[in-house]
Amino acid sequence: MSGDMEVRGALQRIQAPDELDAQRRAWPLVRTAFDAREPVTWPRRNLRPVFAAVLAVFVSAAAFSPPGRALVGSVQDAFTDDKVKPRPALTSLPAPGPLLVNSQRGPWIVQFDGSKRLLGQWAEGSWSPRAQHVVVTRNHTVAALLPNGTVRWSIARSGAVRAGRWSPDGFRVTYLNGRELRVVAGDGTDDGSLRRVVGATPPAWRPEGDHELVFSTVDGRIELVRTDTAKTVWRTAAGEVPTQLVWSEDGERLLVLGERSLRVLDADGRKLWSIGLPVGPSGVAFVRDSHRFVMIRFSPATGLSNLVLLQAETDPGEARVLYSASGDFGTLAVSPNGNWLLVGWLNADQWIFLRLSASKVQSVSNIVEQFGGAAPSSPLSKSFPKSVSWCCPASP
Amino acid sequence: MLGPGRQERSWIRGAQSGSVSDLEALFREHWPRTHRAAFLVVQDGAAAEDIAQEAFLAAVRNLDRFDRKRPFGPWLHRIVVNRSIDWARAKALRRETAEVESGDEFDTGDLGTFSQGVAAGLASLKPEHRAVIVLRYLLEYTPGEIAELLDVPRGTVNSRLRRGLDRLEEIIDREHK
Repeated sequence: MSGDMEVRGALQRIQAPDELDAQRRAWPLVRTAFDAREPVTWPRRNLRPVFAAVLAVFVSAAAFSPPGRALVGSVQDAFTDDKVKPRPALTSLPAPGPLLVNSQRGPWIVQFDGSKRLLGQWAEGSWSPRAQHVVVTRNHTVAALLPNGTVRWSIARSGAVRAGRWSPDGFRVTYLNGRELRVVAGDGTDDGSLRRVVGATPPAWRPEGDHELVFSTVDGRIELVRTDTAKTVWRTAAGEVPTQLVWSEDGERLLVLGERSLRVLDADGRKLWSIGLPVGPSGVAFVRDSHRFVMIRFSPATGLSNLVLLQAETDPGEARVLYSASGDFGTLAVSPNGNWLLVGWLNADQWIFLRLSASKVQSVSNIVEQFGGAAPSSPLSKSFPKSVSWCCPASP
Repeated sequence: MLGPGRQERSWIRGAQSGSVSDLEALFREHWPRTHRAAFLVVQDGAAAEDIAQEAFLAAVRNLDRFDRKRPFGPWLHRIVVNRSIDWARAKALRRETAEVESGDEFDTGDLGTFSQGVAAGLASLKPEHRAVIVLRYLLEYTPGEIAELLDVPRGTVNSRLRRGLDRLEEIIDREHK
């Protein structure tokens, strides 16, 4: 049929836009994923089912005899010792600078010596640039507090208020009022609407920018706006609505993290690269003074969470796995001196402190209990602190 | 010289053993049509690139479990076309709920060298119909294979093909007049 032939011809001739460049961009990512995978050797591929069956029989037998129970216990002890012996309480931080911890009970400030203070019944908090104030939100209220909990100013709005963020120069605060994006001066005056409807993503101030704020629209476009004039600087094409927007310290790179993808943009909103992510926990944090960043990457196949080091350049570089553990990683924060990375490990109820410049690991257990405890019926993942910021970035 | 099927099996075997050059050969062989297929279904350049990338990354992650006796293309195309349909459906939903906004934007969703008439015809089809057309006329699967890839009855594939083709022929005829 001639119609068939014509349609076939037309479709075969078509080229996707930017086809060659897209191929050039994709290959390094595919190569990185290939290098990061653990190849399955012939014995592993073929002997695994046999080994699993033998192991199942052995474990069943072992678990039901007294000597067997002792053996299983020693295996678990060896595993624990092989990893890191966690401290039972947070008695000090490995690097200077206070933490702001958003827990189910409210925001806490933790000092270098491990002492901590609950700021009150606020849903979440975020540092001001030099940690002199904390912007907090709860129900219909946004407020600025001193670190001792004293309220400096507060504003009530009609919608559900959340995601307060202080600008890097300290003169502006932005927050979400329902789906509305608003900005107020740092002293609590001149509160006004910037955009009537935006996405649910917490907005992020561009460091080194002139009161420039990036936010997501409801259809997943990422928009940079100059808040003093309300003028759009750039806006990307639609995409997945992100959960996290994170700037590099110099304001030249932006990470747009969604549940299924990570987009890396430059300061002009151009996409440098992007990758798809499997369903599961994720998070990103820039290494200080760098365009390198750490990403939580969950592998549904193995149930492992990996901390992977990538770079926000045209080429993402070789993915370097810093740390892996079974279960979910939740929070990421880099110390002010750039030497330590805090990682929340939900399943183990631990915080892991990784020294980025050396293979040194510390860990602290009983995190949920230390930050307010869990409700009896609440799963651990709900009670675990949902974000941590290490003084002094403006947003967690 | 190896035939296309044997050549591909050899690349897969090499890639499974850790050969980067064999992986690259597989990538070069399959990327253009995979990317193009995603673009024709989603009609958005950036999304198509993301979807094609995701499909390749998924393929690499599962490479060790891949059965070398089976062809690689259908496995990859199943991932990419189903993700493209999901994305296009989600976009249609977003369009219903999103507020119309104005201003500059970086939208790479133009249709390149494809005739505007046929593009309009393809764009006017539902994502599921576009996918069937793309699988049939770009990737050259038979209706039976398409039914298997999309997990729909063969009759559904035939009716979608017929309807889609009628629409496109109508537009091509109009262009020729």
